[in-house]
Amino acid sequence: MKVKRKRTCYFEENGIVYIDFKDEKLLRRFLTEQGKIIPRHISGTSAKYQRQLATAVKRARHLALLPYVADFTR
Amino acid sequence: MAIYETIFILDSLIPPKDIETTIQKYSAIITENGGKVREVDKWGKRRLAYEIQKKQYGFYVAIEFEGPGTIPRLLEADFNYNDKVLRFLTYRYDKNKLKAIQMDQDKAKAKKAESEPVVNPVKEDAMDDTISEISEEETETKDVAVEETESVESIEEPEEVSEEFPDAEEEGEEEKS
Repeated sequence: MKVKRKRTCYFEENGIVYIDFKDEKLLRRFLTEQGKIIPRHISGTSAKYQRQLATAVKRARHLALLPYVADFTR
Repeated sequence: MAIYETIFILDSLIPPKDIETTIQKYSAIITENGGKVREVDKWGKRRLAYEIQKKQYGFYVAIEFEGPGTIPRLLEADFNYNDKVLRFLTYRYDKNKLKAIQMDQDKAKAKKAESEPVVNPVKEDAMDDTISEISEEETETKDVAVEETESVESIEEPEEVSEEFPDAEEEGEEEKS
């Protein structure tokens, strides 16, 4: 039997109202090694914050704070 | 009028003097068109996450301003024309950002209110010279507030790191089950 573990939204737990795209360290928690955004059914982020997170990551990528693709197999 | 922030990446190889002049140029565009510069933040030279025009490093500058909605268009027109600007991003502060700013201000106020009663009982002995000491108290409380915010920040950072570990453990357990 798989034990269901309830995942909670990081932003709701920590009382973060606005996800700042300049906070590169925080955003990296929600990215895979390749630089993809982790889906919310895995990270547990609520829909409200997943939407905000997506725009934050995309802005950070545009400004070269985060990579569009991070490929380590080269 | 809305609050905007524009961030642009300059070529890191240009001399510091030119960086200053470009910042002044864009500040001038904002003020000439009925805007007000709120804050200029130079992040400095940073490594880019990926190469832009074959360059590894860039000099980041952020200008926060308020004004009419015509300004972002004017800035972008100039950014496109300028070869020294590698990337730029102008965005309007949305309701969440404004809420966050409001919350920060409220917190700072609350902290000030909290720290004042702590200071007062100590000074009760010398009630005679209250007028001269009130001004002193104000300056002191400000100092305390600044220290508190700094210490909070320093504490929070290591917490973030430690919180990453439970996640890793959970994933490991799942694989077993």
